[in-house]
Amino acid sequence: MDFDSPEEKEFPGLYASESTSKKSKEESDYSDGEHDKHSKKDSLLIGRRKDKKDKGKDRGYAALEGESSPEEELDTKSPSKSKKSKTFKFTSSKSKEKREKSRDKEKTDKELKQVEEEPQKDKDKAHEEKEHKKKDKERKEKDKKSEKKEKDKKEKKSKQAHQDDVSAEEALALGYPVFGVSVSLATERSRCHDGIDLPLVVRDCIDYLQEHCLKCEQIYKVEPIKTRLMHYKRLYNNREYDAEVDELNLPTACSLLKLFLRELPEPPLTTDLMARFEEVASHPEVTKQQEELQQLLEQLPKCNRTLLAWVLLHFDAVIQQERHNKLNAQSLAMLLSSTLQMSHRLMVALLCHCNQLFPDVKLIKYVPPLTSSSPKLPEKPDDIQTELRKQDSLLSQIHSEMNAGFITKKREEQLWEVQRIITQLKRKLKSFEKKQEKSIEELESTAIATTSPTAATLTTVPAPVPVATISEDTTDSKPPTNNKKKSIDLSAGVSVDEVSTTSVESRPQIDSPVAVPEFIIDKISGYVLLPKTNPHRDELLRLQIEYDELIAWQNELKARILSERNEVFRLKQLYDQKLQRQQATMAPVPQPTELPADGDYERVIEHYTRENALLEHKKQMLGMELKEEKRACIALQVELRMQQFQM
Amino acid sequence: MSKKPTAGPALHKVIMVGSGGVGKSALTLQFMYDEFVEDYEPTKADSYRKKVVLDGEEVQIDILDTAGQEDYAAIRDNYFRSGEGFLCVFSITDDESFQATQEFREQILRVKNDESIPFLLVGNKCDLNDKRKVPLNECQLRAQQWSVPYVETSAKTRENVDKVFFDLMREIRSRKTEDSKATSGRAKDRCKKRRLKCTLL
Ligand SMILES: Nc1nc2c(ncn2[C@@H]2O[C@H](COP(=O)(O)OP(=O)(O)O)[C@@H](O)[C@H]2O)c(=O)[nH]1
Ligand SMILES: [Mg+2]
Repeated sequence: MDFDSPEEKEFPGLYASESTSKKSKEESDYSDGEHDKHSKKDSLLIGRRKDKKDKGKDRGYAALEGESSPEEELDTKSPSKSKKSKTFKFTSSKSKEKREKSRDKEKTDKELKQVEEEPQKDKDKAHEEKEHKKKDKERKEKDKKSEKKEKDKKEKKSKQAHQDDVSAEEALALGYPVFGVSVSLATERSRCHDGIDLPLVVRDCIDYLQEHCLKCEQIYKVEPIKTRLMHYKRLYNNREYDAEVDELNLPTACSLLKLFLRELPEPPLTTDLMARFEEVASHPEVTKQQEELQQLLEQLPKCNRTLLAWVLLHFDAVIQQERHNKLNAQSLAMLLSSTLQMSHRLMVALLCHCNQLFPDVKLIKYVPPLTSSSPKLPEKPDDIQTELRKQDSLLSQIHSEMNAGFITKKREEQLWEVQRIITQLKRKLKSFEKKQEKSIEELESTAIATTSPTAATLTTVPAPVPVATISEDTTDSKPPTNNKKKSIDLSAGVSVDEVSTTSVESRPQIDSPVAVPEFIIDKISGYVLLPKTNPHRDELLRLQIEYDELIAWQNELKARILSERNEVFRLKQLYDQKLQRQQATMAPVPQPTELPADGDYERVIEHYTRENALLEHKKQMLGMELKEEKRACIALQVELRMQQFQM
Repeated sequence: MSKKPTAGPALHKVIMVGSGGVGKSALTLQFMYDEFVEDYEPTKADSYRKKVVLDGEEVQIDILDTAGQEDYAAIRDNYFRSGEGFLCVFSITDDESFQATQEFREQILRVKNDESIPFLLVGNKCDLNDKRKVPLNECQLRAQQWSVPYVETSAKTRENVDKVFFDLMREIRSRKTEDSKATSGRAKDRCKKRRLKCTLL
């Protein structure tokens, strides 16, 4: 009987993310649009979760064996949850393949296995111990340490017989800490949802200090009460920090930031590049130094670079206030270089160049996603979009953490809450769009209503010059309505050159959706991204992008129509005014003194009629050509954007 | 355990499941806002909360409207776990959607591990009776096999819309009271009886 695999499979992804984070997305087999915004790591976790779930159940009884009351455990709404809160196992990337292969079999094997495992109950405990020992050898030191810790917890817990849900959840959270893990993991677990890849705790501390403390003389010179510091560390580790409830203060913010940096298992400049950084710092030539630092920084993982940028720019802001806080580069480096795990000299060098080294980084205060206790949802469509993006990012994170086994009651509640906010935001956006459509329609109908009486006069009275040309100009360049959405009434049409200008204007708008390659947050655009291995991926993506482009085109045309309508309206009023004035003055229209001969008159009319018909025809051809051009344009645009997704 | 973390009105968590296009969103929106949407817009996941009066008691209902597509399975399971009751919807005009309910039932039981989880089998679009593809007795038979109620609804005419939500909430509520009694008393017996896997063993 195979005890090995269920053991290992119990918590795939718990720490596997560290060892597998470099693996590419292709290896994951999930195909879920919602989750495309996850990092590769997430997708791996998701890809594996089915196994985990099934497996977790397979061996659930074994795990609970020896505890005082297994039935009571099962009594929770989520049996898998209570199991998870008890045991922490780690997976190796090796076992992952095995799992994936055996996944299909699992379903059928499951029932069988359970029957098999049952009689083994008594022996399981002993087996489990053995397994632990065996696997410890295979594991890295770090994992081993934390596992022991968890295991101790587990044993303690089993004695408590699950009396305390809260502490169980806390224990679970301990399996996914933010402090003491790599920068990338901390960034992943403690996300800022506005697209800046910085661990939330770092962001919050810097935000607080930037806003309140730059001129304070105590900055980086005082220590908080130890218990207070630990309290905040725990809040962040458990993802429970709530800015409104637990406001930071100066000593805590300084020390929490320092604590985070100090506990990084690797220097933020990375072990690999450390020596070279130090070497450059000892360079006597300042200009060259900057260039070389720049080059080295480029080689850092992106999240390390972001972290350094924020920390250094913040430190720079501190020493800008030397007058108030009595800190300059030298003295600050004295206090903090060891925290950053670098030499005094290197820190001074980095501080000296930081503005040139990170010209792309601005310290922007973080506005976290709204919660249900937030007073109000945003009203403007742009704000709604921004908020939606944040909520989507938060939602993906919750899902991916849950898929990795981090399941607590609080998280589940948060999951529903976030989902609810997203639904509300989407409804808001939709109703806004509807309103807009309606108002366009209304404008259209009023424009028609107000024009119609004169339009009637126009047709009967052939003379009035301005309106006549307008209406002729705009009558019938056919709208390229290949959109699914309701076709536009183009009776007041779009003239050829106007369309071409809009097609140019449209581009910046089309390019704007954000698609950062490694963490694609484009739920806003609604794209369903299949895994790269899926043969339909490209087709689906292309269709979606095309759809967007066409919609954008349609919107431009609509906007054009609206402005044309307004222009018609304006001219009509102008015409009415003139007509009234003419009638009021009753000034006799100046009679042409010499009427051309009847034959000449007719010939002129004929000429213009023919000419106009020709022009009309030409315009139609051009209109079609334009349509083709625009189509080519969109095709290229789609290819361009496809490329963004390939990266 | 079934103790409630928050004071205030009881909260019942309901999840809509079923194939795409059967009317899960339509039912939800009809219940929530008394509106019927003609055009079909695939859902990923949407969640709603509403205060209602259930047999004289003010309660809150959380409704999660899921995607029918298999694609979203990973997300769906995270919700299934926290769902307390399920409306398993198919369209009486679409036999495939009826067949699919079997799979949804299994998924739910796999996650919840509980055969008597509050659950209703819902045959929607009953206003289209002339296009019916799934005979009534087949629907009833399946419901009987699962020991769950069967109700036919129309999100369009609002027929039985409130009924399915309220019936489910009643089941959830009685389940909760039963649970809290059981936890204080003989939890084990109930468990043995309840848990699918336990009964198997
Ligand atoms: N005639 C009729 N149409 C319905 C009913 N419920 C939903 N529909 C239509 O069926 C389509 C799919 O509904 P929707 O709620 O989006 O399905 P979902 O994918 O299950 O959420 C929509 O076009 C609805 O208008 C119903 O009870 N009667
Ligand atoms: Mg839907």
